[in-house]
Amino acid sequence: MTQLSQEIVDLVPDHVLGLLSPSEDALMAELSARDADLATLVGDLRDRLLPLDLSATPQPLPAGFTATVLSRIATLPQGALVAPANIPAAPRRLWPGLAAAVVGLAVGLGAATLRPRPAPQVVAVLVDDAGVPQAVVDDYGNDTATVRFVADITVPDDRALQVWTLPSADMGPVSLGVLDGRMAADLRFDDLPDPAAQQLYEVTLEPLGGSPTGRPTGPIIGKGLAAAQTGA
Amino acid sequence: MMSLAPAQSRRHRLPPRTVRVTMRARQTRQLTLRGRTLDDHDSTAHRADRLRRALIAVAAGQAYGIDAILATEGPLLLGVARRILGRSDLAEEALQDAMLQVWRKAHQWDAAHGSARGWICAVLRNRCLNMLRDGKRLALMDPADLAVLQDNRQQVVPEEGWEILCAPTRLRDCLHTLDDASRHAILLAHVAGFTHDEIAARTTAPLGSVKSMIRRGLQRLKECLG
Repeated sequence: MTQLSQEIVDLVPDHVLGLLSPSEDALMAELSARDADLATLVGDLRDRLLPLDLSATPQPLPAGFTATVLSRIATLPQGALVAPANIPAAPRRLWPGLAAAVVGLAVGLGAATLRPRPAPQVVAVLVDDAGVPQAVVDDYGNDTATVRFVADITVPDDRALQVWTLPSADMGPVSLGVLDGRMAADLRFDDLPDPAAQQLYEVTLEPLGGSPTGRPTGPIIGKGLAAAQTGA
Repeated sequence: MMSLAPAQSRRHRLPPRTVRVTMRARQTRQLTLRGRTLDDHDSTAHRADRLRRALIAVAAGQAYGIDAILATEGPLLLGVARRILGRSDLAEEALQDAMLQVWRKAHQWDAAHGSARGWICAVLRNRCLNMLRDGKRLALMDPADLAVLQDNRQQVVPEEGWEILCAPTRLRDCLHTLDDASRHAILLAHVAGFTHDEIAARTTAPLGSVKSMIRRGLQRLKECLG
């Protein structure tokens, strides 16, 4: 509990009850995977509320249910949809910055959650080299996505942030949009296949107006793989 | 799992009637001991331990762990999904998907941070909530089915007699100490999977006060639980 900010702690109950938006939820999952204190707070509240789950009326599993599950997992590599293993855990000294980031996220999303919006198909938490979340991309399919920044990123006057995704190795990186400043933004683009789990998203620093080559050229601010929100 | 095999096959050899009589006798004996018995504790603790070992096995890539989870707690898990989703077919789909996620993510679970049962239930609830909030899926559903689904959800948390949702535990005692509105909002969210917006619409309370009511209520619950 040493360096966890009150703002993060305040999100724990809503996280456990399932009341957060998909992006906030993804961020909390990401943070709990990196911080034992936060994971304990989450696990502890879950366990305290367990009697409510235990009050459900048991339903017999239909015949062959377990066999179906086992045959489905037989075709599935383990760890397929989890965050990339090569992201290092955020060093503890970065927590204060991260706490500030989450305040920004919570405030930024407060207004957004009031608007009815379809659930995103995938959510990607983009992290920097040190594993600290920098931005969250919600991709809704149908060539629309949103990006929100959760860290304090310095953008020089002659540079702009550009969001990219890699729909497939064949297509190569495709721009989802060049941002005006580092505000949360709605992105609209053309004719991309619907997003898939594990699709790569990244934000780079490019010249004003966007990369001159149509491919990322500048330093990477953050990158991450998408987690599916609706499909398994 | 292996050690249970002989006991199971022996039970299967008994005539069904004998089994029923035995179970009834056992229930009667348990009820005489102030409602909660050592047997209850043993079986709950035993199941918790089986789940813990099963999840460790899954994390190690052993598929029999999934089998063990479903054998131990499958019916309860299906019941949890059925209560949130209101339909058996959706509940079965949710539990299947959740078990796939358990398979993929088991290595993220750490016993030091919470129980295996709590973690597995969280994965399942998450999956159920995603299904409920999936606009595309809802758009594809037959309007009549959708109406049934919504009706079912409306009835999960009763206005009166909420105690049915929580066994006599410390949690129930502490829920009793909350004001009616906070308790109702917390139960709507956790048991029936309603969002802040849905709870606000349902209770005709402003969204902001629903949010703070839930947060305050949970804080008081935690203090009461100690």
